[in-house]
Amino acid sequence: MLMIRAMVRPEKANDVLAGLLEAGYPAVTRISVYGRGKQRGLTAGGVTYDELPKELLLTVIKDKDKEFVVNTIIEQARSGSEGAFGDGKIFVSPVIESYTISSGVKETSAEE
Amino acid sequence: MKEVMAMIRINKINETKKALNAAGITSFTATGRVLGRGKGLVDYRVLDGAKEGKPEALTHLGSGPRLVPKRLITVVVSDDWVERTVKAIIDVNQTGNAGDGKIFVLPILEATRVRTRETVSGASGGTVLDSSGGLE
Repeated sequence: MLMIRAMVRPEKANDVLAGLLEAGYPAVTRISVYGRGKQRGLTAGGVTYDELPKELLLTVIKDKDKEFVVNTIIEQARSGSEGAFGDGKIFVSPVIESYTISSGVKETSAEE
Repeated sequence: MKEVMAMIRINKINETKKALNAAGITSFTATGRVLGRGKGLVDYRVLDGAKEGKPEALTHLGSGPRLVPKRLITVVVSDDWVERTVKAIIDVNQTGNAGDGKIFVLPILEATRVRTRETVSGASGGTVLDSSGGLE
């Protein structure tokens, strides 16, 4: 299992959620966060914004679905066809175990 | 070390804190409020409501699963404490209904105590995690 953490533009978050749902990945957690990237925030009209609002989308998937899910997110989160600074980042980290609280069912990455 | 990440019902946070405390895990991080959705694709209450012609239910039709507010808690524990932590969280949060939440266990490579710069890596938290397994 892998955890996908995607930082996306707040206005794109709903598109990504809809895209994931359509692709068959309904389970997502969404967190409002602030952050900055390599461009060190944003300067607009003499005002510098050190940290910009983003939405952090968190989803856990099977190893083999990684490429498809990442592509789905990128497709929806990118602005225009070229993309632009500030579109966000996607991080992938390993998950060892997962539990469903309601049933207590345990899944481990080794079972996959 | 492992990071135990749990999405739980908002109203269960106090009970969960108490249960973790009782289990000897005194320290954890809670994220105020997060939004989430699970695998439940069909909310039958909405379908039933729509059948009866209730306007609130009709507006929800076709909008897909809605995001539900949840709490996200993260606990970092040494490897041999993972089972106890997970059990403590499940015991107090399990109602048997969909929406109780999920727990994920992720590996942690290194932990550093900011105050003293002590750094540990590996299965046990050593001096950075206290004897009870939680971050001191």
